[in-house]
Amino acid sequence: MNPLAKKYLRPSQIPTKACHGCGIGMIENWLLQAIDELGLKQEDVIFGTGIGCVGRQTFATWGGDNFGATHGRALAIATGLKLAQPDKTYLIVVGDGDAASIGTSHLIHAARRNLGVVVICEDNMGYESTGGQFSPTTPAGYVTNSSPYGMVEPPFDPCDVVKAAGATFVAETTATQWHQTVKVVKKALQNDGFSFVHVRFPCNENFGAYALGTRDTLKNLEWIYEHTQGRKADGSATDFTWETGIKHDVSNSRPEFTRLLRDMNVRVQADMAKKTAAKA
Amino acid sequence: MRDVRRPEASGEMTEMKGNEVLVAPWVEWERRYTKGRRLLEAGTFALTEGAIAAGCRVFAGYPITPATDIAEYMSKRLPQVGGYYMQAEDELAGMHMCAGASLGGLKAMTATSGPGYTLMHDAYGWAITNEIPLVVVDAMRVGPISGITGAPGQGEFYIARYASHGGNFETIVLSPSSVQESFWLTIDAFNLSERFGTPVTILTDQVVSDMWEDLFIPDDYAGLDFVVPRKANLTMPFFPVGSDAIDVPPNVIGRGTGVCVSAYTHTEEGYDIEEMEAQWAQTHRLINKIRHHRSELTRYETVGVDDADVVAVAYGADARTVKTAVLAARARGLRAGFVRPITLWPFLDELFAADRHYVVCELNYDGQLVREVMRAAPDSRKVHFMGKSAELHTVAEVVAALEGVAKTGRVPELPYIWTEVR
Repeated sequence: MNPLAKKYLRPSQIPTKACHGCGIGMIENWLLQAIDELGLKQEDVIFGTGIGCVGRQTFATWGGDNFGATHGRALAIATGLKLAQPDKTYLIVVGDGDAASIGTSHLIHAARRNLGVVVICEDNMGYESTGGQFSPTTPAGYVTNSSPYGMVEPPFDPCDVVKAAGATFVAETTATQWHQTVKVVKKALQNDGFSFVHVRFPCNENFGAYALGTRDTLKNLEWIYEHTQGRKADGSATDFTWETGIKHDVSNSRPEFTRLLRDMNVRVQADMAKKTAAKA
Repeated sequence: MRDVRRPEASGEMTEMKGNEVLVAPWVEWERRYTKGRRLLEAGTFALTEGAIAAGCRVFAGYPITPATDIAEYMSKRLPQVGGYYMQAEDELAGMHMCAGASLGGLKAMTATSGPGYTLMHDAYGWAITNEIPLVVVDAMRVGPISGITGAPGQGEFYIARYASHGGNFETIVLSPSSVQESFWLTIDAFNLSERFGTPVTILTDQVVSDMWEDLFIPDDYAGLDFVVPRKANLTMPFFPVGSDAIDVPPNVIGRGTGVCVSAYTHTEEGYDIEEMEAQWAQTHRLINKIRHHRSELTRYETVGVDDADVVAVAYGADARTVKTAVLAARARGLRAGFVRPITLWPFLDELFAADRHYVVCELNYDGQLVREVMRAAPDSRKVHFMGKSAELHTVAEVVAALEGVAKTGRVPELPYIWTEVR
């Protein structure tokens, strides 16, 4: 067994039920590497997930405490948990549906509050566990099982959304960038505030098969890689380009949300004590 | 002219007052704790103080009439006692935040009205399946949807029972009818949520929330020995599937136990599983921990039911005028009785075991409580419906209905009163 998996995961829950060639397990391994390099222990990290491919395949794999939220609400649950258990590290591993569609309002407001969690948005560019429908991060024009004539909606970049909302660390990588992903996740984990890491990965069974015309993992990875470079293997330009890397880093520049609430309580109680003393 | 808008002042209840009976744990609490403050306060204030007294330290919600005052009181009170008030982006987030806080080890509550209550059902099911103690207040107004925001309704009787989709669970729902009762009942709701490991809904309404009334509040909350403290389960099994035990300490995330909670049907470790046997075991737990301990959940008030030929049934604010009407009818020589279920779910079938006429008064036209009374009563043809909406029943119309049923077996035709159920 992979030594990192042995150190941090539950033997009974891995390998996951993910499809052959899925990027979810690989990315989780990179998360473990970042956790390990920072010297974090199993009991230091609370692992939260949502619904869909990313939620279902990662839930309960983590050897410490896990929660699998209702669809989209992992950040709302994490907000309550962080209040009760402020000293823990929160790794919220969700898909594009959870982060960028059904749960976007919670994503925005967690970023606005600067909630001290790390969100890893593992984005396979569609709803793949339900059979491959388009999502708000599916590139425009691409064919999926609910956009048989090409997706007519424009997509958005969740990194732009959380940056505008006030996230203190924002980065984008893909499943073709091992070292970069480990590096940015480590930085994200060191921010006492809201960190967002967007990681695109290929779905071979649905997005690959229908949008790209292949179930070949390497070809699908290559398609992602080309779109990070803006250039195909034959030298021609891609139809669009994804900028990867750290997009916004003002780590530890403003107070974490639950700290603000705790500080307010100290102030309120000190005022009360002063008033009581004045009366006496 | 319907002018009877002065419900009986039922702030002080004793176990037995002539032929009046109150069965509730706070009868004893009131007797034991007499040192405190006497205030003139709102139902929302009483509810907030009840929560603080019960040890609630997190409130997350979204303002909505008529529950907004609870949020405002909480935002002031919680920081004073080391708790946290969060104004969520919506009710979906509000109840999930509460569920998260409770999983982290803090007692939590949210408060809303019908439109927000339906949004909370996402988290409600999650809290039910993960056995998370929580208290949810629904201050009912008139529906559907926004309806009339500043008037009392009782349209969430069934929604509160089925506060999640999918079935395979029981719920606990309590309903106060006075400011004083809002205080004690809220502590009771927290106790039940801790003991049964499930969300408890307090189904109050616009009148009980907004009205001001005498309120006694004990001085020393820390000295209330009946408050069930938060415990923490630190070992396997995390989910005693197949067991109907209550008083099982809730799980806690953040103590390194390796607990797993999720939206899925689970094993005793909390792992997701797609097997019929696991579904059976989980359902056995979620249903029978409540059904097999119904005697722990009995709370009601009655008047004159021993000799009554016709019994008026009501809960919440509406029970106040209905009770007054029953007392007035009895003063006029009618053998009338009164039943007020305080526990709405699980439904107290035993209150309707006697073969007599029941006149069910509730603040909706579709008929909700009445259907359960028809099911529980020996003869459903003797169960009569008096639906009304946006205003409480008046004493005059309830007296007329009781007399009509006693004489003719039917509720007479009255303006704005709906009598058809089928």
